[in-house]
Amino acid sequence: MACLSTSGRVVCGSRRQQAHKLLYQLLGSRPGLTAPAPSTGFTPPKVQQQAMRLFHGLSFSMGKDYPDLLQSPHKCSHSLKYSQSSQQNVRQHSSVHTQQPAGPVREFQIDPYIILDDDLKYFYDDVRYLLKSGTSQPELDTIASYYFDGQGKALRPMVTMLMAKAINYHLNNESHQLVHKQRQIALFSEMVHSASLVHDDVIDQSDFRRGKPSVNALWNHKKVTMAGDYILSIASIMIARLRSDDVTIVLSQILTDLVQGEFMQLGSRETENERFAHYLTKTYRKTASLIANALKATAVIAQADDNVAEVAFQYGRNIGLAFQLVDDMLDFVSSTEQMGKPTAADLKLGLATAPVLFACEKYPELNPMVMRRFSEPGDVERAFELVHKSHGLEQTRFLAKKHCNEAIRLAQELTESPYQKGLQVVADLVINRMK
Amino acid sequence: MYRASGLRIMQQLRRRIPAEIQGFQSAQVAPALQTFTFQQQQLQQHRWTSTTTASGKHSSPQATTPPPRHDWNRAVSEAERIVGYPTSFLSLRWLLSDEIANVALHLRKLVGSAHPLMKTAKHLLYNGKNTMQAWGLIVLLVSKAAGHAPSVPDVEQDKSAGVLHSQRALAEVTEMIRISHLVHNSVVNLQSSTQAGQDVATYDDMSFGNKIGLLTGDYLLGHSSAELANLRNQEVVELISSAVRDFSESEFIGERDEQNNPLPYKPGTFQRPSLSVGVDFNEHDVMTPMPIAQVLGNPEEEWECRNILNAGSLLGKSCQASLKLAGQSEELQRHAYRFGKHLALAWQACLDAEPFQCPQLPLDVTFSLVSAPVLFHLEHDPGMYAQLEAGKQSVDNIDYDKIHKAILAGPALVKTKELQRKHTAAALAVLQHFPATDARQALENIILAMQDL
Repeated sequence: MACLSTSGRVVCGSRRQQAHKLLYQLLGSRPGLTAPAPSTGFTPPKVQQQAMRLFHGLSFSMGKDYPDLLQSPHKCSHSLKYSQSSQQNVRQHSSVHTQQPAGPVREFQIDPYIILDDDLKYFYDDVRYLLKSGTSQPELDTIASYYFDGQGKALRPMVTMLMAKAINYHLNNESHQLVHKQRQIALFSEMVHSASLVHDDVIDQSDFRRGKPSVNALWNHKKVTMAGDYILSIASIMIARLRSDDVTIVLSQILTDLVQGEFMQLGSRETENERFAHYLTKTYRKTASLIANALKATAVIAQADDNVAEVAFQYGRNIGLAFQLVDDMLDFVSSTEQMGKPTAADLKLGLATAPVLFACEKYPELNPMVMRRFSEPGDVERAFELVHKSHGLEQTRFLAKKHCNEAIRLAQELTESPYQKGLQVVADLVINRMK
Repeated sequence: MYRASGLRIMQQLRRRIPAEIQGFQSAQVAPALQTFTFQQQQLQQHRWTSTTTASGKHSSPQATTPPPRHDWNRAVSEAERIVGYPTSFLSLRWLLSDEIANVALHLRKLVGSAHPLMKTAKHLLYNGKNTMQAWGLIVLLVSKAAGHAPSVPDVEQDKSAGVLHSQRALAEVTEMIRISHLVHNSVVNLQSSTQAGQDVATYDDMSFGNKIGLLTGDYLLGHSSAELANLRNQEVVELISSAVRDFSESEFIGERDEQNNPLPYKPGTFQRPSLSVGVDFNEHDVMTPMPIAQVLGNPEEEWECRNILNAGSLLGKSCQASLKLAGQSEELQRHAYRFGKHLALAWQACLDAEPFQCPQLPLDVTFSLVSAPVLFHLEHDPGMYAQLEAGKQSVDNIDYDKIHKAILAGPALVKTKELQRKHTAAALAVLQHFPATDARQALENIILAMQDL
């Protein structure tokens, strides 16, 4: 098994067609629903698509048989079989390489994106539907949905759903209603993330994100700011409708953390000793808090006890920290095409991330540059060079690896299930990703 | 250490601003300072001898001896006493946070630059009659006027003020959200196609100001959602979140210049609706947006829609939410919403009329092109639209003097005053559904004082 694909979206594409075929075979005998011709790609009739998206998104008007079929253990073996049989497809379609060497075949080959296909398939459609239903102004809708084009990694919703289902399995409570609520939490996590991206774009004035023009390049910055607020308000309305006080409290923590993280990034000048702690706190608030608290919320809404909620939270915190550490590392090694945004971007913004802070130990001449936020000509290039000459990147990777191992350990505290396995695979994906 | 320095910075900032910003109203004191001194001021200004306590007894002095003329400042300070202590969000609590200390520090760098954030900060720091500082106050007064259900436990009540602790928190959230909208609205559009920030120096100022403005607004929004969550009432969270949605939506309606200043629709763009029934939100589903398309083409209805989104929604929904917290009936909640909405609209009409109170437009004063007088005048004389078209790139290119003169000569101002009276009357009428208390009296006084402004 050469590669665990990090490019879930791509795999989903091929997998999706097969899932649909399976689904329509199952549904074929149901009155009122007819299976589409399986030959040419996949174009479901509109009525069916509507019925489908209602199930995934907002109501449970679908017949009960279909979800039951998918929940049966039978489904699991299908899922594994498909993930194996679609390996060929993965190699063909995947545009992403991982650093994992072609080694011995792993015991379990679980692609989290595949086992969550049912939950993620219409994920972005549901977000766009929500955003559309809240406004009468087409331009607001356009700006707000701009980043929900399905091109992102969807890491946050994927991890959230994995944890949700792993917890449900652990608690032996897999009601569809519960999963539906947890999916709303996943929607929230992605919406808050996008709202923060939209506001970041105005602040950082960068012209590209995810390989396309960023929102601030295309629209009036005032409107973009308002669109960010809009996404947030719609996400809050959605969460309020879950009618769970505790979930709302857990999730609101995300917002305060995000802003505090941004304020920390504005930069007060800490001493060398405090600097790393400051960096880690900032990273927790800006990135990890979102994942940690979203995961915790899925536990809270499942009425798990405090221990399970804490496992979920700590797992999310470690994954989030590792994710950001790798991100900061990739900023030094990836090419612009791979990241969809310019490299050494952090240095250019005056930010000293883990690789630089590690490099400071070997090259103290970096310290004054950190203090002046790489503002003098040549600073960025010199710092970039020194980071590569030092062991900063390896050390960053090592730290990320430590957090991933901790995340794996935490996941193992839950009852074994495909989703619990998936949580461990995610830790691998995070450390091995190339973009 | 940080906190102490934050306070000091804020105070220094206050002292600095008057010197460095032109055109600030000198007679006003920063609200936080006013907190400590307003009693003395009262003594000086009104020679008060009676010492009415804030205990919520039904013994308000103005009920027996009404003031000869309705004075805004007096109506507000009396109202503040009725609900305990002044509620302006710019209180010490707000100053005592690391983030705000940080913002104050950064704002200093912007003093003297042309970033609109400074103008907003000035408005917020100096409690002029032009900013409706009293929004939180209104929410508290409505809460007190309505009272609360007997089922509310004692610990949740602020007995001396006659409101619930949760309602006080909600009032604070209301002000935070409103300020966050004002601050986010001060972001400058720096797209390369625009005039703003074309030279490097101003660009840096502007982009730094945008950063601070954006983060400050987000900080306020983040904290309001945390405070809201702690109220443990999801219907309230839903309602207030929808008010945030309405704020953002209001910035997208109609044509806009480069800096997103609104321009009116070209007369004749829409068929005038045959039935002019006002539109409002769907009571049963807060997600449903305001159906503004139904009223475009009717100046009064269009004005109403724009301003409900822009102001009435938050005040109305906060009043409604506050009664939700107190366990009041749905019907009384609806009345509270309508009161807040009409009050905000009456206030807006009053503000819209203000630039037209003097025969000559004062220097450096402009007015919104979607304010009630302009919209009414466009209905009367569609030909004026040609002059407004000059503002398509920037509303600054418009000859405000000329339009000012034209409007004064037409019937628009009378209609605006009528509009104000209509909403004032509506607000007063809704108030009759509340029991007669000193809080209700204070609300009436504020409305009457507003009429005289």
